[in-house]
Amino acid sequence: MECIVQGIIETQHVEALEILLQGLCGVHRERLRIHEICLKNSPNLGNVASEIRLLCDLEQTEPMWTVKHVGGAMRGAGAEQISVLVRTTVESKVSKNVLRLFYALGYKLDHELLRVGFAFHFLRGAQITVTVSSINKMLKLHATDEAVPVTPGIQVVEVTAPATSENYTEVAAAMSSFCEYLAPYLVIQLLWISERLDWLLHLSKPGVSTGVVATAAAAAASLMSDGGGTTL
Amino acid sequence: MPIKWVLHWQPHAGTSVNSQILNEVSQCVESINGVKEGRWKATLTFYKPMLRDQSLAGEFPRDFLGISVPEQPNKYYFVIRAQRIVMEADSSIQNIMEKLQSYKMRVALNFEGFQYQLGDFQLRVGKVVPTHSENLRGIVMEVEYLPISSIEKSRQIMEEFLQIWQEALSKRSLPGQFMHMEPNFTEYGLPEPYTSQHTAVQYATVMAQLIASVQSGQAVRN
Repeated sequence: MECIVQGIIETQHVEALEILLQGLCGVHRERLRIHEICLKNSPNLGNVASEIRLLCDLEQTEPMWTVKHVGGAMRGAGAEQISVLVRTTVESKVSKNVLRLFYALGYKLDHELLRVGFAFHFLRGAQITVTVSSINKMLKLHATDEAVPVTPGIQVVEVTAPATSENYTEVAAAMSSFCEYLAPYLVIQLLWISERLDWLLHLSKPGVSTGVVATAAAAAASLMSDGGGTTL
Repeated sequence: MPIKWVLHWQPHAGTSVNSQILNEVSQCVESINGVKEGRWKATLTFYKPMLRDQSLAGEFPRDFLGISVPEQPNKYYFVIRAQRIVMEADSSIQNIMEKLQSYKMRVALNFEGFQYQLGDFQLRVGKVVPTHSENLRGIVMEVEYLPISSIEKSRQIMEEFLQIWQEALSKRSLPGQFMHMEPNFTEYGLPEPYTSQHTAVQYATVMAQLIASVQSGQAVRN
């Protein structure tokens, strides 16, 4: 289970945000370069439509793979009273042939992306991770060296913290109070951004320009429309 | 990690495994001064695809195995033998597979028994039984040589040890013998030195041999 808040920021403000985060967290940033592959089950397989994310950490000397399953977001009265999104997630570190295995099992590539940016990990009422990254799409299959930004001029900010069914209200409170510091720099939303990014990338196939928006304004619009953005 | 060979009991034609053979094998290890150290258990689970249209079953792997090994309690291994794929994962991958609802457990088998120390060798003798059952399906044996983790460098000493072992066991005139079928690890992309992924591949190979010997036994009886 994790608590998550997402936001977007114009690239011109990223440096200021980084300085703020450095001051707030008291730790150094870590470079972030993650190749993310989203797979979906083939139509005949499984009782339900399922989706799995394979994350490859390219910052390590030997690329490290993780499988991540993101479940549904918590709903109901409890969820409405907190200002972050709570969802079930399960992760497992895996060896490098994970993609081959899932293809063999009948999973198909839906889309892939490359996150490039930085992350801060720190303890502040909860084990919080803040990532600031540009989202890039590959022009050729798996060609991470030839990636281009999906939303030029706009970067995605994610604040996450692991939680359990016992402590999520405390974790959510710690995250909300931390996010207040970030509010002047970015538009914070719950989870519309990643859904919209998935959709943009789902539309975008290698060699086709669909899914890449031309300007920062268009990028912001594509990520934010109908999103019900809320500043905390 | 130390080199390990996993062997399976191959019954003579027309015979089958029984618990008396397992007892004799265990006594034989003790007769060559193997010191009993405790129990061990590995679990092999066959998964099958959950399909909306069963006629398309041929498009999905029939031999998708999930394996847990005692030396890596926090890891889980997937093997698809037909495609020579092995993957190591944190054991939370089992939780992920459940959530995906695309494959479900068909049958699970335990390899379980006792572990013995014999100088630099560690031996494990075990029965193959379905979980929640005592129905003996096979006998397995693991030979681990603790000082060496290279498959090639250990080959000679492993072969010599097995020769001594087979001689000791032959005195009991049992209706079968232990077989070592070394998989081609290179096909699985597994280089030297030896790792738990090699063990998972050996378990999958042993399982295939056991299934084949049960099927050929049935064919003989029919």
